[in-house]
Amino acid sequence: MELTPINPEHMFSLHGPEMKNYSFSGGFAVNTRRFLFVFALAAGAILLPGALLAHHSTAEYDMTAVTPIKGTVTKFEWSNPHAYIYIEAKDDKGNAAEWTAELASLGMLARVNWKRDTVKPGDAITIYGNRAKDGRTVMRLEKVAFANGQELSAQVR
Amino acid sequence: MVRNYLKSSAACGAALLFFLPAILGQTANPSKAATAPDLTGVWMIDQFHPALFPKGITPPFTPWGEAQFKKADTLVNDPNLACLPHGIPRLMFVPLPMQIFQVPDMVLIYEEAGNQLRQIHLNRDHRKDLDPTYNGDSVGKWEGETLVVDTIGFNDVTWLDHVGLPHSDALHVVERIHRADHNTLVDDFTIEDSKAYTKPWTASQTYHLKPGWEIAEYVCDNNKYVYHEK
Repeated sequence: MELTPINPEHMFSLHGPEMKNYSFSGGFAVNTRRFLFVFALAAGAILLPGALLAHHSTAEYDMTAVTPIKGTVTKFEWSNPHAYIYIEAKDDKGNAAEWTAELASLGMLARVNWKRDTVKPGDAITIYGNRAKDGRTVMRLEKVAFANGQELSAQVR
Repeated sequence: MVRNYLKSSAACGAALLFFLPAILGQTANPSKAATAPDLTGVWMIDQFHPALFPKGITPPFTPWGEAQFKKADTLVNDPNLACLPHGIPRLMFVPLPMQIFQVPDMVLIYEEAGNQLRQIHLNRDHRKDLDPTYNGDSVGKWEGETLVVDTIGFNDVTWLDHVGLPHSDALHVVERIHRADHNTLVDDFTIEDSKAYTKPWTASQTYHLKPGWEIAEYVCDNNKYVYHEK
């Protein structure tokens, strides 16, 4: 699945230190974000969501909510300027939905323990991330949870 | 008299001991000034500041500069979407590491972003009649512990920051790069561009030393973002 061209309607706006405006949009949103935010403050605000994407801004993503999507990996593109995980999931009505998760660049991912085979086609995983504002089934990945319950953060700092 | 003589020899001896490392250093590596501070290592920005001017603070735009800024859209015409070079100073704000090397007559900055190599020439002036380039022509000199870098010769393609702050080919960037302590590097920028801004302004970026880090390959071989400018 290829990403469609970006909808050019948003200016770059929300970054780590400016996340005070965040709110949850219900539905898929989970409140781990609040925990992460408070944790980041406590840790001296070293957690920088804005720093994840070196190549382009986070403007296309809703940085105020984290959405979990459970599915099966169909492809893992280990590539620059971003890595991508593709999963086959189900929507609210049980219909098949293909999701794409965008990650950071390979150098930064390697520094937080990601490898080219961290996820493999056929793996059952849950991806957590900030979904595209325009409704596409695309997200900026925060972390993955594996079938055995282990989690791996995609945050680079 | 003898006593005074002894005193002054002792003073000479102490002075010699004090300067010995510098003298030896010069002998061992005649191409590098004995007093040149060491900036080498892998460095990473401490905080990502996409916008050089915080919200609510208007940059001192000329009408031309303001018009350029209004055209900027991070999702449409950011030159970086096409993986073009960032230009200076934006390259120094990218949230990817850089490695600084000091070699005879040059300080080299190897950026993970696009694996660009930035050359800062220490013992020459700007070339005459420069071709406009993405990263310009950088010349540097040491002022005490600070590397002062002067860069001109830019094209007008790049942005100054990650949200579209514009510049023209008249851009002139002066950087003062110094080590605040062993683990901290600071780059203070003065940015001057009379076509885009009514007066010079300043910015600053702090970096942390990252022992054990190596610069990774970074080739845009899977770029799903298209540059629609033209």
